[in-house]
Amino acid sequence: MSDNKHRVTRRQFLNYTLTGVGGFMAAGMLMPMLRFAFDPILKDEAGTEMVAVADVKEITTEPKRFDFKVKVKDAWYESEEPKSAWVYKTDKGEIIALSPICKHLGCTVDWNTDKEHPNQFFCPCHYGRYEKDGTNVPGTPPQAPLDRYEYKVKDGKLYLGKAKPRKEA
Amino acid sequence: MKWTGEDVALYERERDYIDTALLPLLPVAFGQGAKRLASGGELVGLIAAEVERQLKGRLFLMPSFVYFADEPRALLTERLADWTNRLRREGMKHLFYVTCDRAWQEGEEADRVWFIPVVPLESMGESYKHELVREQTAELLRFLIGRWAQE
Repeated sequence: MSDNKHRVTRRQFLNYTLTGVGGFMAAGMLMPMLRFAFDPILKDEAGTEMVAVADVKEITTEPKRFDFKVKVKDAWYESEEPKSAWVYKTDKGEIIALSPICKHLGCTVDWNTDKEHPNQFFCPCHYGRYEKDGTNVPGTPPQAPLDRYEYKVKDGKLYLGKAKPRKEA
Repeated sequence: MKWTGEDVALYERERDYIDTALLPLLPVAFGQGAKRLASGGELVGLIAAEVERQLKGRLFLMPSFVYFADEPRALLTERLADWTNRLRREGMKHLFYVTCDRAWQEGEEADRVWFIPVVPLESMGESYKHELVREQTAELLRFLIGRWAQE
């Protein structure tokens, strides 16, 4: 008789298996629904497009170039596009992150490399110049100020997003 | 400028400003020496792409001039001279070549050839590779900007 205690009857076996399988099926249907419902909460909060570029400590009042990479998808070819930013702090402590892409034809501008015009951004291609805050110097080829990156500071790190054209200065 | 639809459209609008062509000279081979040439070509490609990115508005990075490493030199020189003439006729006042093939350093246009030594890229760490490309790019940039000032 003691053997019989542990023996599972056909009815019990079917009950267990059907509940089990049914449970999985129900879970399979409910999970996506729950995911949809809670999706905004589950999303990574670290801002999908912001990239960590530098430690805030490294930023001084002198523009410094930081290189970083952004994932891009071109047709079916996924790659990392190298980008750079000129970053500095104003006297008030505000961080400015400028895109180095010259507004004329897209060369990369450099800081303080033209001896005749110190403390300006200089484009080696057609000698375009910009003030420290990115404003284009009239009389040089560029017609607009340098773009500024959207940025945020989190845990002592500087995150950069998209470079946005600045309103007419 | 790169050889893409978008860039060529921009080139056609702004061709007065784009007066410099950079032409990679790319030797290929199979069997002996293939790996070395491939590594060299890879590095030349990386550096040329980076230079293009920085001087986009004045420099046109041409698709490579490709040849088999054992092609007769005289024919190659002739073919390259033809390419050079065509580019000059198109208004490219400054024309430079970049290659990992030492043989080009002896030709007529040797002072326009920027030579990049072969490095076994495939056995290098990512950060070291990065550093190498950055340094070599900076040197080539200095060379180009210097020549612009002279010519």
